[in-house]
Amino acid sequence: MHLAKGNVFSFWLGVLFAIVLFVLISRARKGMKIPPLYKVPGLDALDEAIGRCTEMGRPVHFSPGIGSVDNAQTLAALSILGYVARQCAKYDTDLIATNRITVVYPIAEEIVKQAYIEEGKPDAFKPENVRFISEDQFAYASGVTGIMYREKPAANILIGAFWAESLIFAEVGATAGAIQISGTANTHQIPFFVAACDYALIGEEIFAASAYLTKDPVLMGSLVAQDWGKMLAAVLIIIGAVLQTFKITALKDLMGK
Amino acid sequence: MKKEVPIVMGFILGISIIAGVFVTGVPWLTTWKNLLDEWFLVVQAWAVAVGVVNLTQIHSRRVSQKREGWFYSVWLMICMFGMIVFGVFIAKSPQNEGWRWMYNQLIAPMNATVYSTLVFYIGAAAYRAFRVRNLEATVLLVAAVILMLGRVPLGKVLLGGTWIEKTADWILNVPNSAGMRGIQLGATLGAIATALRILVGIERGHLGGTGE
Repeated sequence: MHLAKGNVFSFWLGVLFAIVLFVLISRARKGMKIPPLYKVPGLDALDEAIGRCTEMGRPVHFSPGIGSVDNAQTLAALSILGYVARQCAKYDTDLIATNRITVVYPIAEEIVKQAYIEEGKPDAFKPENVRFISEDQFAYASGVTGIMYREKPAANILIGAFWAESLIFAEVGATAGAIQISGTANTHQIPFFVAACDYALIGEEIFAASAYLTKDPVLMGSLVAQDWGKMLAAVLIIIGAVLQTFKITALKDLMGK
Repeated sequence: MKKEVPIVMGFILGISIIAGVFVTGVPWLTTWKNLLDEWFLVVQAWAVAVGVVNLTQIHSRRVSQKREGWFYSVWLMICMFGMIVFGVFIAKSPQNEGWRWMYNQLIAPMNATVYSTLVFYIGAAAYRAFRVRNLEATVLLVAAVILMLGRVPLGKVLLGGTWIEKTADWILNVPNSAGMRGIQLGATLGAIATALRILVGIERGHLGGTGE
């Protein structure tokens, strides 16, 4: 038994990151002081968007992207869906959750149903509002376009893994007059969301959402580990750049093992 | 139990997959990982049936209640069940000529049509994003104009020389790449942290409810 060639460095780096993460989570459980999080306007705007829908008597549209359950972005999006569903249940606002992946659809339905139960309004849950549209990327895009034009949601929340359909969703939402909150870690789609949406969550912000929204100190402890990870990566980048400048390949060789 | 069982299963299966990726030389681990991959495919295939049931329920309700645009729902069900019946009982193979014709002549052009509408959406989004309102929008506008001119032969003809092409390449390869990689780095660490939180059951949002 041995580690696969090319994965040795990333394995040990992953182990180190996991240890730091669990140490910080355990310290957070014991009441360690967590540094305040910077404001994420996109997440703060979720309540404003749902409130707008409540006032206008129009639904909220939520898409968890087109990634499957093996994509961390989809799982982060489903956590946010839980929060949005609870707020919608609280304020008696309809939530239309559309899905492209058939494996994601029953999970999304269960999350929305559970949110209505937790808010004490199981009868207000409408199963027909959690919809599977199509496994085909552009058929899904067409389906969402139709919903945006026909049912005119006042808020369009697009968080998860998006590809070429991202701009179709965002532009159709803008045309329908919806307040738009989007987020993805797919770097090529971020410019589309930034250009077309009112609020855009960039990259790691979607993974911080559950901690940010729940204010759970244990989850927030894991965000500190992420920041430490970024600092370590920055240090490695600087050292690597300096060493490469002097043609010293020790670090490069180590990372390639 | 409703939450504990999925968490324990998620932990065991998640660790198996991670071990299968990083560790070699353990035949049973490779076999186990391949088996899990096959199970995932089977679950995915069965989940399509769940999707078909959902579509049928929603659209048959629209038809029975004669809601606005109900005839589109009829058309959707004709197409969906038509493809299913043809594929399962007549074609029986993705290599079947009729099946391939339906894909190549119907589905592929429709996909291409929707994809091509992106050009209009890009135009509309660019108009809004590039309006000169502040310093950031101005930088975006200038960078976009240089990139567009540097990427088409017309730019070189109009401006002469290759400086526009080189400037476009520099914008793309230096500041743009640096920004993209910074975002990717943060997102990757975020994804790893999310995966670890889910593996050990700290984050349960995807299981429904608040996790209490």
